[in-house]
Amino acid sequence: MEKAIISMEKVNKAFLPGIRVIDNLSFSVQKGEIIGILGPNGAGKTTTIRLLNGVLYPDAGRISVAGFDPVSAGDEVRKRCGVLTESAGLYEHMTARDNLLFFAELYGVAEPVRQAGRLLSEFGLAEAARKKVGTFSTGMKKRLGIAKALLHDPEILFLDEPTTGLDPEGSRALLNYIKELNREYRVTIFLATHLLKQVQDFGHRFLFIEQGRLLESGNFAELEGKYLREITLQVETGLAVSGDEFAGFPVIKKEPGYLWFRLESKNTVPLLLEKILAVAPVYSAVIAGRDLETIYFKIREEKR
Amino acid sequence: MKKRQIRAVIKKDIMAVASSFQLWLPMLLLPVVFSLVMPSLLILPAYKYDISERSILEVLDDLPPGELRETIFSFDSTNKQMVYFGVHYLFAPFLLIIPLMAASVLGSGSFAREKERKTMESLLLAPISAFDLFWAKILASFIPAVLLAFISFLLYGTIVNLTAYRLFGGLIFPRPHWLILLFWVSPALSLGAVFLNVFISAKVKGFQEAYQLGALTVLPLIALIAGQITGVLLLSNTVLWLLGAGLWLLDLLLIKRSGRYLDRSKLFATLAS
Repeated sequence: MEKAIISMEKVNKAFLPGIRVIDNLSFSVQKGEIIGILGPNGAGKTTTIRLLNGVLYPDAGRISVAGFDPVSAGDEVRKRCGVLTESAGLYEHMTARDNLLFFAELYGVAEPVRQAGRLLSEFGLAEAARKKVGTFSTGMKKRLGIAKALLHDPEILFLDEPTTGLDPEGSRALLNYIKELNREYRVTIFLATHLLKQVQDFGHRFLFIEQGRLLESGNFAELEGKYLREITLQVETGLAVSGDEFAGFPVIKKEPGYLWFRLESKNTVPLLLEKILAVAPVYSAVIAGRDLETIYFKIREEKR
Repeated sequence: MKKRQIRAVIKKDIMAVASSFQLWLPMLLLPVVFSLVMPSLLILPAYKYDISERSILEVLDDLPPGELRETIFSFDSTNKQMVYFGVHYLFAPFLLIIPLMAASVLGSGSFAREKERKTMESLLLAPISAFDLFWAKILASFIPAVLLAFISFLLYGTIVNLTAYRLFGGLIFPRPHWLILLFWVSPALSLGAVFLNVFISAKVKGFQEAYQLGALTVLPLIALIAGQITGVLLLSNTVLWLLGAGLWLLDLLLIKRSGRYLDRSKLFATLAS
């Protein structure tokens, strides 16, 4: 197995004595993975990113990013990582181009002008390149923030609430770009968010944290198998059920044209549908609550 | 030290000052008063009126024997003596105060403005060491402050020579102590002021706090040194050289000891708290 590109081992961090914002946190990330770090506000997502980039030092535990310790070899880590912070961190009195050129110098980019031009075009900002960032919309600032984070072709991209302030179109475009970046260049993506629906489709693995502690981790299939032990199947059908069961399957809700069944697992879906189809038409069948959000609440319920 | 990164931060900061009217206008006021208004107000009336001031004439009488006393008393009128002494000695502290004011304004804003603009984290997330970043911030305030002193000196010298030429029948500016002040004492004092202001700026949350703290702690101390410079000038150039050397030594000591207080995590802590 490849050595983890990011690892945290029993890391603690407290800003005030006795109040840990990161509490015995351990996890690892493989190269090329898209990891969603999920949790409510104040869970420790941003602090985790800061610890991984060496702008905060842990009180205890071990951290390794791209083979380096962020405390003792912080600049080596930061050379290999791009970070989009929640506020984008751009100079509003400077133009978009000047912002990129400045950060290109800081990151030691070989051809700053060419790279800044390429990224401005890629993110649809070529026409606004010479406008001051202060005049930009939130979406434009976010795109410029991403361009800034990608200036030095990082191996790892940290994104802290990247879609905050973006409209649905902007969010989708940004997430598609990130997906593409991961697919084409194998950039490891570490994405902190509380918008679970957005990461469900493209995250390879998820870390659920709360109060600085890791509650659970795994890919969607693993988490689904572990936490969605009972499922609810919504069936659009002409079947009429008088009691609270059909062919031994409990019916938990009825509406004209729709029935909701509680099933022990998704393996029983074909059998139920077969039984219904034998007596009535079926127009659609959807497993309700089969998403990251449901899993998230289940995890919080069980692990608290 | 990574020169490329340091250069980039300096360039960015100086451009920010240059593009901020509110920032550089107050800094220009003092040089204009010092370089244009004050010598003109002293020299031009001397052509027509008696400008002798008893207290100053008493100081001149008390001057120790030597080159300065001989030069001053070689002039055939008290007006000329007054102008010569005023131009070379009374106004000399301004050459220290001008860069100090600039150092104070620029230095206190160095980190504090980054924090207020929410760009500090971007800087800390870049591969530039905390020490290099600190140095870049120091130089970005020190260079304009010293430059302002140079420009003020040139302007002052030009105005003095132009307005006093007819009165003295030749050029009277500069005397050697101006050059020691300009190239040796003023940069050393400015560096110390910049250092203290940048350090405070790194430790507090916002510009207002940095500026007030800087003005409260650094300025009075520095103004005291600047205010006493006339007395030092009257002693001898050797004392001036020694004063400069002492200041440079103090700067070196401060900078060397500051390293331990300037790790990245501590710089970041002022953002998080």
